Amino acid sequence: MAKLVAVQQLQPCHHVPRVSPGSSLLHSSLSEFNGTALNISVQKKRKVWQPKGALQVKASSAKKILIMGGTRFIGVFLSRLLVKDGHQVTLFTRGKAPITQQLPGESDQEYAEFSSKILHLKGDRQDFEFVKTSLAAKGFDVVYDINGREGVEVEPILDALPKLEQFIYCSSAGVYLKSDLLPHFEADAVDPKSRHKGKLETERLLDSRGVNWTSLRPVYIYGPLNYNPVEEWFFHRLKAGRPIPIPNNGVQITQLGHVKDLARAFVMVLGNSKASKQVYNISGSKYVTFDGLARACAKAAGFPEPEIVHYNPKEFDFGKKKAFPFRDQHFFASIEKATRDLGWNPEFGLIDGLADSYNLDFGRGTYRKPADFSTDDMILGKSLVLQS
Amino acid sequence: MATAAVSSLLPLHSSRRTPPIAGALPSSLARRSFSLLPISSPFLSSPFTSPSFYPTSKRFSSPSSNFYVKAVAQEEKKKVLVVNTNSGGHAVIGFYFARQLLGSGHEVTVLTVGEESSDKMKKPPFTRFSELVSAGGRTVWGDPAEVGKIVGTATFDVVLDNNGKDLDAVKPVADWAKSAGVKQFLYISSAGIYKTGDEVPHVEGDPVKDDASHVFVEKYIADLSFSSWAIFRPQYMTGSGNNKDCEEWFFDRIVRNRPVPIPGSGMQLTNIAHVRDLSSMLSLAVEKPLAANGKIFNCVSDRAVTLDGMAKLCAKAAGRELKTVHYDPKALGIDSRKAFPFRIMHFYAEPRAAKEILGWTSTTNLPEDLKERFDEYVSIGRDKKQMQFDIDDKILESLKAMVTV
Repeated sequence: MAKLVAVQQLQPCHHVPRVSPGSSLLHSSLSEFNGTALNISVQKKRKVWQPKGALQVKASSAKKILIMGGTRFIGVFLSRLLVKDGHQVTLFTRGKAPITQQLPGESDQEYAEFSSKILHLKGDRQDFEFVKTSLAAKGFDVVYDINGREGVEVEPILDALPKLEQFIYCSSAGVYLKSDLLPHFEADAVDPKSRHKGKLETERLLDSRGVNWTSLRPVYIYGPLNYNPVEEWFFHRLKAGRPIPIPNNGVQITQLGHVKDLARAFVMVLGNSKASKQVYNISGSKYVTFDGLARACAKAAGFPEPEIVHYNPKEFDFGKKKAFPFRDQHFFASIEKATRDLGWNPEFGLIDGLADSYNLDFGRGTYRKPADFSTDDMILGKSLVLQS
Repeated sequence: MATAAVSSLLPLHSSRRTPPIAGALPSSLARRSFSLLPISSPFLSSPFTSPSFYPTSKRFSSPSSNFYVKAVAQEEKKKVLVVNTNSGGHAVIGFYFARQLLGSGHEVTVLTVGEESSDKMKKPPFTRFSELVSAGGRTVWGDPAEVGKIVGTATFDVVLDNNGKDLDAVKPVADWAKSAGVKQFLYISSAGIYKTGDEVPHVEGDPVKDDASHVFVEKYIADLSFSSWAIFRPQYMTGSGNNKDCEEWFFDRIVRNRPVPIPGSGMQLTNIAHVRDLSSMLSLAVEKPLAANGKIFNCVSDRAVTLDGMAKLCAKAAGRELKTVHYDPKALGIDSRKAFPFRIMHFYAEPRAAKEILGWTSTTNLPEDLKERFDEYVSIGRDKKQMQFDIDDKILESLKAMVTV
């Protein structure tokens, strides 16, 4: 008779007080399962997923998983979830960054347990021969490609692992063709000329190779350890008590998705037949204006409402520097497909997500890029001149 | 599919999870069920239909469960009363809804506010009410406060109030419906009641403006405890038979080679749905009263469009060049409500509840729909009509004056 394992907490670093409306449903159903003839071997862990709305039962055996990357941002959270779920996880990196780092809020014990289990395969993924031979030698059931940019990078992986059960790819909503009709849905037109065309080529390659693939398209990712100056950009200015310069009128709408929610989505597609050869937009449930994001960062971090200065970017030559971290247009995608088909739902709203990022990272004085207000000063200098 | 609503989307009156209806069709079939399947189909009347669309839990597949019997009753013919406004953007909703219900074999009466002989009846959709009559519908006129007198002994299963914006207008209808044993009460509210903020879109359950008159109506209906009640919050709509200009405002200028003056940056988002989407959502609620009970539905398509984008799409549909000018209404002393057909701040709701709870899908395709609209615009000769553009001229003059200064 199958042994049942209770619902597992899937967030090692952040405990969200979870309202579980279905929990009573869960308990009564569990007792019914004891009598059913389901073939579950003792080794397999039976997990009762509790996506909001749908009661699903999935049997997921421990897998040998390779993550391309995994030491900087998304993979840091994803690898922890996978290790906790009992999988054998190997990170393929050049070893430039430490293979593991203790996360703020992570207990010594949790960190020790994770560090003792995570494996490392050192190499440069641009060395295709090495990728092919090393992966073939080790053999993996599942590959998560978190840092791949071009189709060619994926070929040696597929060549090395002909029996690969699933290739899970971190793509980008940046592949969508700009449109006046929003949000972007997965079936929308993509832009073969976009900066992210490599992601698109990779998706197409995966499809053409007949492998069981799943692709997730995040929008802007944020959260502790973010190395892209998304929230960091705002926090620097808020901390310095500086006005926030926002291009044009600040009503442009963007969308942020918390890295922990993205990591959970990556776990939810693992071994999920529904996700086979599917693309999913993964981001926050709501979208926000640029001005609104500045206010949200202030609110989340406990700063007073910021002064926002609008400017016309065409009036400036910032050289190679970026005066604002977001693309100057509406950019958001619907996560409806993922919520409907995977039962995934983001747990972080914008304010509490930004607070999580601030409290565990930027608010502690840590950051990736030091503050650089040179473009701000150009903008503010001109504004001052106009005023006087 | 009647999966339970995500808790964050539940409106104020959070409902219990409703079990899926045995005998309920998968959503893709359900939308077409009325026209394709006769009511007496064995598939619909059998209590032991295939469990393929049940969730995996054993809870609902026990043959001893007695909700099968209730569920079968879902698919019978209904008697529907539509109380319809005699003007404004929402007028067309009742017309499409009535037409769709009649097409599905239901009995429909449309009570339009006012008098049949009124001038208001000379505009669409009222000019097309003969279509409803030919399809077997009844069209009557009168004061909704007298609805009981007007319908006399006729009884109804479903009432849609597509008229009142406040309690004064809706209370008499709701009270009468309750006392007359109406099982399902539906109300067309407005997505305009949502509180605005930095985050979009408006999602069912988001806070609404406390003083909006529709809010009081919604609360009143909820408290009457109909067997099933639901609220629908629309934005803007397009479609043949519309009573209020929508895309026409853009066409008027485009065909006359006039610049289209857009308040603000033009980046503001709005939602323009084809009215058939609103009608299909209402019809699904009638089909699935248990699922729809106690719910709020944003009655909109699933895409927002920018104001600039709408202008572009209209020009494309018309096959003409587009000239837009942007202006700041405040700076020019222009009342944008008179100068422009839409709200000038982001106004954007998403139909998440309808998709999740009713299995509804949006069919609005603005690029295509606007082509059809333009064809009609030309066929009725509106492109040749003499028109004044006083406010536009004022805007253009002021802008010119600003430049020269």
